[in-house]
Amino acid sequence: MGPRGDRPVLGSPAVAVAFPGAVCRGSGYRFACELLKHVLHQRNQLPLPYEQLAYFCRRAAQGGDGIEKPRSLGLASRKCQQLLTELEGLFQHLEVMFSLTLVPRVLFLLGGNVMNPKELYELNLEGFCEGSAEESLQTAPCVRQLFHRLFVADVFSELKALPVTGTLVLVQGHRDCGVEWFRPKLNYQVPSRGRKLTVKLSCDGDLHVSASPPQHTAPAWEDYVWFQAPVTLKGFSE
Amino acid sequence: MEDAAGDLKQALPNVCDSVQIHVEVHQKSSSLAKKEDIRMSVLKLLNRHNIVFGDYKWTEFDDPFLNNNVQSVAIVDTDLKLKDRQPIDLSTSNLSLHVFHLNEEGPTSENLEEENDDITAAHHWVLPAAEFHGLWESLIYDTEVKSNLLDYVTTTLLFSDKNVDSNLISWNRVVLLHGPPGTGKTSLCKALAQKLTIRLSYRYRYGQLIEINSHSLFSKWFSESGKLVTKMFQKIQELVDDRDALVFVLIDEVESLTAARSAFKAGTEPSDAIRVVNAVLTQIDQIKRYPNVVILTTSNITEKIDMAFVDRADIKQYIGPPSTAAIFRIYLSCLEELMKCQIIYPRQQLLTLRELEMIGFIENNVSRLSLVLKDISRKSEGLGGRVLRKLPFLAHALYIQSPSVTMATFLQALSLAVDKQFEEKKNLADCV
Repeated sequence: MGPRGDRPVLGSPAVAVAFPGAVCRGSGYRFACELLKHVLHQRNQLPLPYEQLAYFCRRAAQGGDGIEKPRSLGLASRKCQQLLTELEGLFQHLEVMFSLTLVPRVLFLLGGNVMNPKELYELNLEGFCEGSAEESLQTAPCVRQLFHRLFVADVFSELKALPVTGTLVLVQGHRDCGVEWFRPKLNYQVPSRGRKLTVKLSCDGDLHVSASPPQHTAPAWEDYVWFQAPVTLKGFSE
Repeated sequence: MEDAAGDLKQALPNVCDSVQIHVEVHQKSSSLAKKEDIRMSVLKLLNRHNIVFGDYKWTEFDDPFLNNNVQSVAIVDTDLKLKDRQPIDLSTSNLSLHVFHLNEEGPTSENLEEENDDITAAHHWVLPAAEFHGLWESLIYDTEVKSNLLDYVTTTLLFSDKNVDSNLISWNRVVLLHGPPGTGKTSLCKALAQKLTIRLSYRYRYGQLIEINSHSLFSKWFSESGKLVTKMFQKIQELVDDRDALVFVLIDEVESLTAARSAFKAGTEPSDAIRVVNAVLTQIDQIKRYPNVVILTTSNITEKIDMAFVDRADIKQYIGPPSTAAIFRIYLSCLEELMKCQIIYPRQQLLTLRELEMIGFIENNVSRLSLVLKDISRKSEGLGGRVLRKLPFLAHALYIQSPSVTMATFLQALSLAVDKQFEEKKNLADCV
């Protein structure tokens, strides 16, 4: 038997970030979105960072306001619009998902298919917990801390450029969470082949009682199943 | 050794008198129920209806749990094992339940040359795929083609499971289907892959089907073609490495890859082509060591294929044009579909060929239309499956053009369409 999907693959890079306490509610969702935007840009699926692209596209959509948009956007603008719309939709549904259930893991699969992606990015939130707004860490500094760690670990620089391809998003959630948009993938296991990067977030320090440490409230991981977003994010280049 | 023999006997189905009945349970794509719960409920359902006549499919259930989670429960392929349609007592037979989910994504494509991204070298499906659902049932053959193929792969896997020494007994996991065009060879390969993935889901978590575009393996650079083949098989190797996956490699029109090397001697083939043949042959030998791969190939012109390749194929199945009986069943399934869509209206009960035989082909009100269909079927002999499935469409397009017709009118139109088909065939032959 080869290495099973649920164990970390030997030699695959991992970035661990430990926050000094619980982070305020809604952060898990923010981390997932920011990481996806970052990965898409770093792996050549978006020619510009997401925020810039969204800005230019909004400008273009509003019509001639005198500002010349980058030439590259003209040609690929339809693809760009489509991808941005899909991403926006995805983010909304992700937010719903995060509000319905505890999400221990999120996967971004680039290229190939759901069983054999070319590259696999895992956001591991098993040791992560959210707390109430007053007593927890703010989201923004934590996002900065995450990206600082990613930058220092230098995980993207030695990779070969990836051709434009499709990206799939999978989210682990509770079986009975009642989410409708995402499709359940009951017997899915995280693939063990392909290049994999794990980003593991955890919260250290003395956790306040109001925080929700997943280990205590949700001991039955077997009730957590994978859900797949019913869209393929098609990347584009200039 | 004794023990091993005993095990083998136990693992082989159908050695004792109880019949193996396969029940396929199609779980809804939105369903989150656990497999065991579904299994329990389906067993309860089967307990209540324990006598069935041949294949049967439930799509509506009394049990709200099944209604919410299950698309269909189907008793399948009883006709492959039991020659006659007879009552089957489910309580005494050996039931195997296969609960499956369909993958709704379409195929993904695979490129070989990094710098040339436009040409797709292979299409790639994760099985069981929604695209192939119902394909197996739509393929109708007279002889035991389907059960032969299923049994063959089952034996293959049994041998692999029991670690039979492949130096002593060799088997290759290569299937070659050959026969005239339009008889459903490629469809059969895809359907077989889907079927086996469902049947063997207890052993393999999922299946992969890779359809290779053989022409894409020929490089524009002289001497590079052989390397492309190797590259292709390397990708397949990666998939095979996952022991939870059952991998099917489909090479359509295999003669273009393994064209006889004798043609090379005649000087009509460039020497690059011979490298492709050699590369394919060695790669197949490489891959046969793995228990979880099946290579499916099809060909229209068997004599053009290199003998060394033909030798490697374990099963060389001829797929011929359908017989009258098969044609009758194909038409019947077409008409059933048209009645379901209310293009043929009102609904008329048609008899099967066997039912006709039982009443001795006597014409009465019940059998009249079926007898007409039987005549049309006889007349259609010599047409392939692809044409046959097209005829109801042509009949409607050429002779009907109204949104709904009676069965009698439609059969007349169908008869005319068959005549026209043969006429066209004759005209084409005259021109050549």
